[in-house]
Amino acid sequence: MEAYLFYLLAAVTVIGTVLAITEKHPVHAIVYLVSSFFSLAAIFFLLAAPLIAMFEVIIYAGAVMVLFMFVIMMLDVGRSGDGLRPGLRQWLPAMLLAGVILALLGMMLAHGGWPAPGAGAAATLRDFSLTLFRQHGVAIEIISLQLLFAVVGALYFGKRRGP
Amino acid sequence: MTASDLRIVLPLLLLAGGALLALLSGGITRTERASYLVAYPATLGAALWALIAPSPAAASTVGLASDGLARLFTVFFCLMAATVLALSRTYNSERGLRGEEYPATILFTTFGMTALASATTLLSLFLGLEAMTFGLYILVGSDLGHAGSVETGLKYLLIGAFSAACMVFGIALIYCFCGTLVIGQAVQATLLPGAGSSLAMAGWSFMLIGIAFKLSLVPAHLWTPDVYEGAPAPVAGFLSGGSKGAAVLFLLRLLPAAGDAGLLRLPLWWLALLSMLTGNLAALRENRVRRLLAYSSIAHMGYVAVALVAGAAGGYQAAAYYAVAYGIISLAAFGAIAVLERTGCGATVESYRGVGSTHAFPAAVLTLALFALVGIPPTAGFTGKWLIFTAAIRAGELPLAVMGILATALSLYYYLRIVASLYFSPVAARQQPLLAPVERIALGCLAVLIIVLGAWPSPLLDLFSRCFNR
Repeated sequence: MEAYLFYLLAAVTVIGTVLAITEKHPVHAIVYLVSSFFSLAAIFFLLAAPLIAMFEVIIYAGAVMVLFMFVIMMLDVGRSGDGLRPGLRQWLPAMLLAGVILALLGMMLAHGGWPAPGAGAAATLRDFSLTLFRQHGVAIEIISLQLLFAVVGALYFGKRRGP
Repeated sequence: MTASDLRIVLPLLLLAGGALLALLSGGITRTERASYLVAYPATLGAALWALIAPSPAAASTVGLASDGLARLFTVFFCLMAATVLALSRTYNSERGLRGEEYPATILFTTFGMTALASATTLLSLFLGLEAMTFGLYILVGSDLGHAGSVETGLKYLLIGAFSAACMVFGIALIYCFCGTLVIGQAVQATLLPGAGSSLAMAGWSFMLIGIAFKLSLVPAHLWTPDVYEGAPAPVAGFLSGGSKGAAVLFLLRLLPAAGDAGLLRLPLWWLALLSMLTGNLAALRENRVRRLLAYSSIAHMGYVAVALVAGAAGGYQAAAYYAVAYGIISLAAFGAIAVLERTGCGATVESYRGVGSTHAFPAAVLTLALFALVGIPPTAGFTGKWLIFTAAIRAGELPLAVMGILATALSLYYYLRIVASLYFSPVAARQQPLLAPVERIALGCLAVLIIVLGAWPSPLLDLFSRCFNR
């Protein structure tokens, strides 16, 4: 049962990612990427890592994709006229992917909700945070500084346009 | 975090704090003078601490260590950053490259290199490398007045993101196989002959692809000439010397844990051969000085890969020595180019005509650096090549050593072409640049180091062999 779920979800993830790469319209590409992230989250859930599944949805499908949307809106590269009445060919693949993910999630819930953890117990939020901040505290600091300099770099390149 | 941990991370704290302070002081005072005034003590202080600090009593609990190799390279990276800052000041102000972001990003890049140097887990090793590359993305594209600059930055960013993705996937696969991120254990569980599984081998392949991009080994070298051409000259020196040195150090952290290159010997062998040949042959046909130095850097990383293939037969010492020597040499070359470009020298070899008689000092430093790149005694380039090829012969890699020596002989032509253009051509009229005292000091120090390291390498080599033969 779990194996079938996994292979179906993995197929949806790969198809979603491939479509996101090949799609020319940036907004459509983002929709495909979101569906790919969602099925990836379901895979993490299946692997008894509900925390990572939540992160995947909140951070990637939520925050990062919304950021992409904002950037596309600001640069105005998403041909807005097309959005008024999308054709069947444009929305059908996305609907199909979303439908498969929803159906599989429904099956997962009907089957007993929480998947049975494999060899060890599922990592709790507590275990996760302790490992992250105690063992890899320096790594967190390096990443924080890197994010700060991402902002600095973006400001620098945005500040002085023109001669 | 204990007091002994604090002692280990102090150079990192100095650099990170210096970067933040440089940003803040630039924002408050509205001039970049204050940022530079913060940046020098931060780099020099970190270097000084790494030199004189007592070795920590307890093992670290934070995934960083300060063993000999970490300290040596911390000193090297910090002093290199200070030199780059010294060479950048006048260059930047003449090209209208303003802002406190520049010195702050130099400090941040050095922070990444230092984190890499003292990493004991694959995670901090990767993050250090990425932090360094991240700083360089900004620095490479920082010359906004230059037409191709942002394009250069974007090119470097895309290639860098691709190589980072490969590397992190490789680390994930290795972790998946052996269940630990600690370098020694992970490498021994996966890289020793007979120990590897296909999963671990796939992981190492991805790691090697990623690091080949950072080292610009053929066939992952295509970004190098464009980036060297578009970046500000001191940044090109930093990229060529510092980031390549850090990438070599990345491999030097991993490979010695397994004794020799193990299962990676064959791919490294081919990377070394292709890089030496392609780099030197492409440089023969190149007429623009910076692109020529970029191809020469590809060839030099090929020599370093030869040393890594030679491995335990003295190859690791040779690779570490060459990383330091090449860093100093390429910084000297690009420092001299930074000065000479201000006098009206353009991109091509011909535009350097007659500079030797009008601008004797920078031209002499450039000539010395070029001689060192060829490997003429008593420069550091000669000693490094000598170490590499003797190690290769000792390890039984005779074909590779022969190819390397032939490639070196070939490289004599294109380096000497620049020297000939500097000295044996009619003098063209050009403007006199004002050589700032700090630039004079920096170039002078680099030139002295090239000679001293070449003629008297034993102290440094002793330190390195103590690091690798524990």
